[in-house]
Amino acid sequence: MERIAVEPRDDWRDTADAHGFRFHTIDDERYWDESACYRFSLSEVEDDIEDPSAELEQMCFQVVERALADEAVMKRLGIPEAFWDFIADSWSQQHRNLYGRFDFAYDGNGPAKLFEYNADTPTSLYETAVFQWVWLEQAIERGLIPDGSDQFNSLHEALTGAFANMGMRGILHLACCKESEEDEGTVEYMADCARQGGVETRLIYIEDIGLDTRGNFTDLQDDPITNLFKLYPWEWIMTDDFGKNVPNSSTRFIEPGWKSILSNKGLLPLLWEMFEGHPNLLPAWFDGDSGAAALDGDYVRKPLFSREGANVEIFEGGERTVSVEGDYGAEGHIIQALYPLPNFDGNYPMVGSWMVASQPCGIGIREDTSMVTGNNARFVPHIISE
Amino acid sequence: MKRSKSVKLVAMGTGLLLVAACEEAKVDTALFESVKQCTSLGFTAQECESNFKEAQRNHVNVAPKYTKREDCETDFGAAQCETAPQRTSSGGSVFMPLMAGYMMGSLMSGGRSAGQPLYKSANDRSTFRTGDNKAVAKSTGRTKVGQSATRTASVKTRTISRGGFGAGARSPMRRSFGG
Repeated sequence: MERIAVEPRDDWRDTADAHGFRFHTIDDERYWDESACYRFSLSEVEDDIEDPSAELEQMCFQVVERALADEAVMKRLGIPEAFWDFIADSWSQQHRNLYGRFDFAYDGNGPAKLFEYNADTPTSLYETAVFQWVWLEQAIERGLIPDGSDQFNSLHEALTGAFANMGMRGILHLACCKESEEDEGTVEYMADCARQGGVETRLIYIEDIGLDTRGNFTDLQDDPITNLFKLYPWEWIMTDDFGKNVPNSSTRFIEPGWKSILSNKGLLPLLWEMFEGHPNLLPAWFDGDSGAAALDGDYVRKPLFSREGANVEIFEGGERTVSVEGDYGAEGHIIQALYPLPNFDGNYPMVGSWMVASQPCGIGIREDTSMVTGNNARFVPHIISE
Repeated sequence: MKRSKSVKLVAMGTGLLLVAACEEAKVDTALFESVKQCTSLGFTAQECESNFKEAQRNHVNVAPKYTKREDCETDFGAAQCETAPQRTSSGGSVFMPLMAGYMMGSLMSGGRSAGQPLYKSANDRSTFRTGDNKAVAKSTGRTKVGQSATRTASVKTRTISRGGFGAGARSPMRRSFGG
């Protein structure tokens, strides 16, 4: 694995516009960055990312089973008791999941280490599945990267295939919050994939969802919402006013309720407890557990529900060296062994490994100039080339 | 090859709903104004009857509902509305358009038990429409329609509140609510 400088396509902005990729630059900051790419060998991709992702997914299923069998675990995860039965039903009735993204620290040497699992509302989907793919095709054509380069990226085919196989009845509503161009782009892309999979779709903002006399959710045309893809975290749904209506509503959610167990940072100490020493796992504990003392003061402290690096703190030798602002943390924390992201010329890449219908199907890399991959991270494409 | 063979986007950046409609598969069906018309086109009396009855049952649920007769007549024409069996929560009357015809289910599936009511709007008396306002055809008899039109129109419901989701998004300085 190496980071190589690449000449950007001189017309990439026009290409982005033509493909409906509107959030390539956010708040005047570059987000899509094709001035470099990461090169992997095929065995690095297959042996170090793809196979471990498939294995971790199976391990995660065991965590779900464990949590559902033990109320103490559900409590520890900060999941409100009113949702325990709802979550258990979504699992026992095998409500299908659509997608997720494992985030790995990986530099080509030794096993990839799991930082966290974005199992509920992973973003950077469109740029991974589509714009990165378009870049590869054009970059080969124009001789910017080696002829015969490939990419670990069948995400688009996997998504359309997953929708075709879901056996969904009725319309699929897709919802995101108002005032996020990035999230709108993501749900529009998801809707596109769903339609290609034969599913009828409608878009709605989360804030516009209504509730009818029978306790079912409705759209702005007063039609019932039968299936809802929500780019909105489960833990927020659970505490919103309408949250209490979720368990008895007739809506089928994507991701299903059981994903709330996996999108929780508490997944990490549970995985470690059940599979201690697994090469892709970092030691982790719930904050306050005695095992954390073994980390000798070098650790990362993360809120259970944190997103995009918010409220993450890094401790070295017991001293706090990095602290990110945010408004998470009241729900509790976990402690994870400090494992620095690899440093490529001052850039710290995080490898996002995408799962669709629980199968690994591609990677997208976001790099930051700090060790915590946050909101300012840039998306950098990758190639497979020997 | 580890990547998608092609990445076809139907709609990104080109206007979402219009394109989707063009992509939809067509299925064979037939529509009638009466059971008699149905049998005269070679369907069995039993098929025609059961689809008609099914459509009548669905009619009560899927027809657009109004709390004022004049609002209904504005949309569907003078004397084209009837009183629905439903009541508003305060006990008031509810109005809905008369059934202008009915449609068999997809003939591929035998046309069984999926009879759907059809309506005609005041400003377009020549077109049969489903309860959720999908234009189906301009004349009776055998025809092809978009697959989604043969599904029973969704049941309109009454929304009593909105805005109960989204509180989590009100925190400042976010560009995405995912992660």
